Amino acid sequence: MLGNVTEISIDTIINQVHQKKDEGYRFVSMTTIENPDLTIDLYYHFDREYQMENLKLTVDKALELPSISKIFLAAVFVENEIQELFGVNFDGKVINYGGHFILSDADLENPMCRKQIVIEQMEDN
Amino acid sequence: MFDMIGNIVKNLFSKPATRNYPFAIRKVPENARGHISGIDPEACIYCGICQRKCPSDAIVVDKVNRTWEIETYRCIVCSECVTVCPKQCIYMDAKHLTSSTKQDRILCKGSPKPEKVAAPKAETPKPETPVAETVSANA
Amino acid sequence: MGKTIIPFGPQHPVLPEPLQLKLVMRDEKVLEAIPSIGYVHRGLEKLAEQKDFMKNIYLVERVCGICSNMHALSYCMAIEEIMQIEIPDRARFLRVIWAELHRIHSHLLWLGLLADSFGFESLFMQVWKSREKIMDILEKTAGHRIFISTNTVGGTHKDLTKEQQKDVLATVASVWDDMKAVEKVFLNDYTVQHRLKGVGVLPKEIAYELGTVGPMARASGIVFDHRTRGYAAYGDLEFEPVVETDGDSWARTKVRLFEVYQSVRLIREAIGKLPDGEIFTPFKGFPDGEAVVRLEQPRGEVMYYVRANGTKMLDRLRIRTPTFANLPSLLHMLPGSSLADVPVLILTIDPCISCTER
Repeated sequence: MLGNVTEISIDTIINQVHQKKDEGYRFVSMTTIENPDLTIDLYYHFDREYQMENLKLTVDKALELPSISKIFLAAVFVENEIQELFGVNFDGKVINYGGHFILSDADLENPMCRKQIVIEQMEDN
Repeated sequence: MFDMIGNIVKNLFSKPATRNYPFAIRKVPENARGHISGIDPEACIYCGICQRKCPSDAIVVDKVNRTWEIETYRCIVCSECVTVCPKQCIYMDAKHLTSSTKQDRILCKGSPKPEKVAAPKAETPKPETPVAETVSANA
Repeated sequence: MGKTIIPFGPQHPVLPEPLQLKLVMRDEKVLEAIPSIGYVHRGLEKLAEQKDFMKNIYLVERVCGICSNMHALSYCMAIEEIMQIEIPDRARFLRVIWAELHRIHSHLLWLGLLADSFGFESLFMQVWKSREKIMDILEKTAGHRIFISTNTVGGTHKDLTKEQQKDVLATVASVWDDMKAVEKVFLNDYTVQHRLKGVGVLPKEIAYELGTVGPMARASGIVFDHRTRGYAAYGDLEFEPVVETDGDSWARTKVRLFEVYQSVRLIREAIGKLPDGEIFTPFKGFPDGEAVVRLEQPRGEVMYYVRANGTKMLDRLRIRTPTFANLPSLLHMLPGSSLADVPVLILTIDPCISCTER
């Protein structure tokens, strides 16, 4: 099971990440999952001497989050990928690919998220 | 700088490490998974387990008409079907294949199930000897 | 003097996989470099949510052709951790043997490509001739040269008979001899040293901050190798990570070359200690829960996150591959280098772009 998970909220992201950097942690990755109730879980994974620490954040879909790429440069690629695949906006990235990092122009918008399709019944003529 | 020169001189005077391909074909080891070559249509009970376990949905089994078909270009040669078949009747062949210009499907058809005749007295009628039909269809 | 922008395009003779870099140059010096990827994105993470969790083993193996066995191994270990399955001892040692054979073939492929990147074609061909021996032994024991499909949830499918073990030992002994003959050229040859020494220096603090993993981090002095944690059977084998301190391309070559020797020693020890017994534990049911597994692939640390919800399809499969973690180091190494060194620098991070993009 996943150990060492700390739940955080949007206001405390930058402080918590700064704290991890000061304690000597290394940035591993970020993971995004869409829950059945259409909120998004965001995990930040850090590591020091083979021990992992995870920060968990639960947000609604259309929110804007602050970017941590000024603290950890290594996060810039992951944030661009999450923005394209899930539609979560990150504000203030060091390099902004503007939607062309991993998907091509012909791909669907935010392919990893669920979409609701409404089927209307046509009247019989 | 002179380490490679000894190597180069040795390579000049020994035979090449490559094979003269169309005239010399590599001998494949016994355990190699080559491609699925077909089934034994008599032993197969058309249960459909291989169809359910195939990761790329390459096998189609029809229980009513007693046919088993595989799309060879979809098959990823993982050998799951060979492992899970309860009758062990799927065969793999590691023979060397050349390129083809048409997509290949292998279709195996077993004989219809012999009808169960309720025998009132001693002798049960002998079922006819089944005839196997293996058709390799080029789609 | 104005600046020119040169696209180090997706197709390039030295790159094994497509990667584009826009190099902003002045004369012959690179000022800035921005990598862009996305040429081989296949959407495998989305596909893994729509297939049965047992069929995903074959899907995950095909994320990359060079480190394929270890992707399957990480996935199986993640599902085993969620379902709390204990695998038998013989299966643990067999997994180590096939994983180390894959590490040897991956490093030999990289050594050949590095020689090709500065034009030394005959060294490239010598190293790849040795690599063919490893591919042949994989075909003899597991059935296929690359996608060997031996791992499954609960153990392994295939076993090694005594004959096959002798074949494996003979092959790795012959690969050892080949690499000893070629080691002098890689490390002591005058032209090779000129192209590799002092090129692309990555100091230790910057390597740690940028999150580099694998041989790149070990060549800069960071002692970081997941095999010391003792997953699979590594806890029962003697193992010391190979570490260099210079931080330039020559140190990275030395680390990967010595890792080939270390893998040969690990294979010999694992075959010597192979216990008897079963190779597979049967299990029932579906996974429910989440787990994170980290392993040492040839290129570095891979992280797998799996979340399952009790049905036969997974909720989420997330893969963070080592080349994705090594990409930011390009942003540090390329500015300030000259144009002729760019292919060598890109190859020293060991780019496996199909892993990066999945």
